[in-house]
Amino acid sequence: MRIGSARETYSQDEALFDSHTKRVWLCVLGTGLVLFPFFAGQYWLYLACLVAINVASATGLNILTGYTGQVSLGQAAFMGVGAYAVAVLEKQLGTPVLLNLLCAGGAAMLVGLVVGIPSLRVKGLYLAIATIAASFILHFIFANWTRVTGGTAGLTVPPATIFGLALDTEFRLYWLIMPFTVLMLAGAANLFRTRIGRAFIAIRDRDISAEVLGIPLLRYKLLSFGLSSFYAGVAGGLWAYFFRSVTPESFPLLMSIFFLAAIIVGGMGSILGGILGAVFMTLVPEVLKLMVGWLPNASEAMVFLAPVRTIVFGALIVGFLIFEPHGLAEIWRRIRRFFHLWPFRS
Amino acid sequence: MKLSRWLTVLLAAAGIALAPAAQAQEEIVIGGSIPMTGVFAFAGIGINAGLQDYFKIVNDAGGIKGRKIRYVFEDTGYKPDVSVAAFKKLTGANKISLYYGDSTAFSRTINPELERLGSIMMAGASLATEINDPKKFPAQFMAGPDYSEQIGILLRHIAKEKPAAKVAIVYSDSEFGRDPVNEFREMSKKLGLTVAVEIQTAPGSVDVSTEVIKLRRADPDYTIFHGYILAPIPEFVTQMKKSGSKSHFMGTFWTMDSSTVMKMGEAGDGFMGVMPYRYYYDTSAKAPMLDKIRQLHPEYQNTPYLQGFLTAMLFVESAKRTLEAGKPLDAKNLKAALNSIKNFDTGGLIGVPITIKGNSVPVGRIYRADMKTQKMVPASDWIVVE
Repeated sequence: MRIGSARETYSQDEALFDSHTKRVWLCVLGTGLVLFPFFAGQYWLYLACLVAINVASATGLNILTGYTGQVSLGQAAFMGVGAYAVAVLEKQLGTPVLLNLLCAGGAAMLVGLVVGIPSLRVKGLYLAIATIAASFILHFIFANWTRVTGGTAGLTVPPATIFGLALDTEFRLYWLIMPFTVLMLAGAANLFRTRIGRAFIAIRDRDISAEVLGIPLLRYKLLSFGLSSFYAGVAGGLWAYFFRSVTPESFPLLMSIFFLAAIIVGGMGSILGGILGAVFMTLVPEVLKLMVGWLPNASEAMVFLAPVRTIVFGALIVGFLIFEPHGLAEIWRRIRRFFHLWPFRS
Repeated sequence: MKLSRWLTVLLAAAGIALAPAAQAQEEIVIGGSIPMTGVFAFAGIGINAGLQDYFKIVNDAGGIKGRKIRYVFEDTGYKPDVSVAAFKKLTGANKISLYYGDSTAFSRTINPELERLGSIMMAGASLATEINDPKKFPAQFMAGPDYSEQIGILLRHIAKEKPAAKVAIVYSDSEFGRDPVNEFREMSKKLGLTVAVEIQTAPGSVDVSTEVIKLRRADPDYTIFHGYILAPIPEFVTQMKKSGSKSHFMGTFWTMDSSTVMKMGEAGDGFMGVMPYRYYYDTSAKAPMLDKIRQLHPEYQNTPYLQGFLTAMLFVESAKRTLEAGKPLDAKNLKAALNSIKNFDTGGLIGVPITIKGNSVPVGRIYRADMKTQKMVPASDWIVVE
């Protein structure tokens, strides 16, 4: 049982990982992430990379929707901007990977700033519709600006190359994607210890009060849109390097709904929630498939149970929303609390 | 000679004697990313059944040169990222030589990986023109004509039936829909046909009143729909017929399943389209392979089933030819074996012997809907695109 964590300085109080136990577990997680590619097969490495990309994008959306309270259904389209930016830069200019990814984030950020302008006048569902409209406009551009985007056929992306080494396998790509995601997560977690992050939270809780407190709404709402889009852009760039083919149909509206669902299921306004939500939404369908695979006569069972699997996945999401509206992050917190207080009951 | 040396010689001899037997028992593993759920499930279930049935027929007859086929697949929900996950999972756990992919997006995404591996030849549900390029997609093929070839077959039929006819194309604003539009323009010009109008609709749109007015004004002799499964074709056909239009309506492969066309109701009578395979119930000519399918399934099997079945036939034929040549089952050898197929008898699945030069099987036939008998009936001979 932990009975408390004494903090003697402000820096200790503000620390992200404020206890020895947390730091130990962080080291375990870090070691696990480093060792993972050496033990996992290509399938699990593929899933790890996909989860990492989804976590990065979901975290971006969490900054905007979870922390600033601005509903957006344009995350997939912003990812598309990043993916196309990487594809064009890699194909036509052959610029370095890191620069391409930063440019992808920058391009998406610029688009996000423009899309975020209506956020000063409209909120909630109205803003969601505005972002859907923006996403349709972006899709139209992807499909019709043929000279740059390759039209409906899209673009094929050469593999990312670092120091002459082509990142063309999951094992190699893992070392690009995972560090980027970890860095972005650290950035997001730190953001909410700063004035900017706290301003976002104030806007979410009550925008009029935030303005009374001296927070310029337009600047901070746009900043939130910009940051969120930057995350989406970098995630889109990583996506482009990962799948190596970018088309207008790669980033449908359904993908934006996927990210929104991920942060709702995981827990809005919590970095851990974004991570858990993205992991849940990406891995649960695969886990359900694995479970069907364990059944006797799995091949026949797969034919009949395929629709059942989809229903179970949907039911799980609904179940979480009903029984744990604060998301997976809250379940995680309860589990931690249980162990903190063990052997006493909470 | 010492005892140990005798033993070594004996073991080596036993090894040589046993090696062919061990090799003969080695399975040929065929994988598949199959959409058993999602928007393309109607096709995926049929494709899967077609693949499974033909592999069972081959295994029951002793396999390919004594080697049994093992078919492993995963459901993809018709999502490219899930299809890739399935590919990674299956290829990670099995030594796969042949693979079935479920979409154009997957074919395109997995192409660099296929080139890197060099051990797998892939076919799939995608009939995209882009895939029919052996230089860009050297390890892939499709068991039918690509969309441009399908449009070519339709236009050839039109030019023969009514020279200098006015033709229109209605297509969805999607990669699938836009695919053959350029070919439509060029081939129409080449065949002396007049393009009356090109109409683009939003994917999944149902209210097409304004587009119908545009089509009615253009008054084409033939209207080709592409990029749809069913909707909004019935709306177009019904409204056009109500307005007194005499246009003939046509579709491409994914619209042409019998059950899909019959859903159009009375308005669909006379609807035509290109079909690369003989329909399940088509008994107009001798077709021993179709007879076998009818024995296996007394009930109707859809056109995706036939696509899966023919793909399986071509997989097996390529593997057989590769093994007969004493070569390993890798992408290069399998593709070379596939391209060596000339005048291949499909057992009546296709009415003419087929030759595979590039990545497609450029053959098709026009069928017409007969609502009285609730069947698709042949409206042309088999047309081979050169």
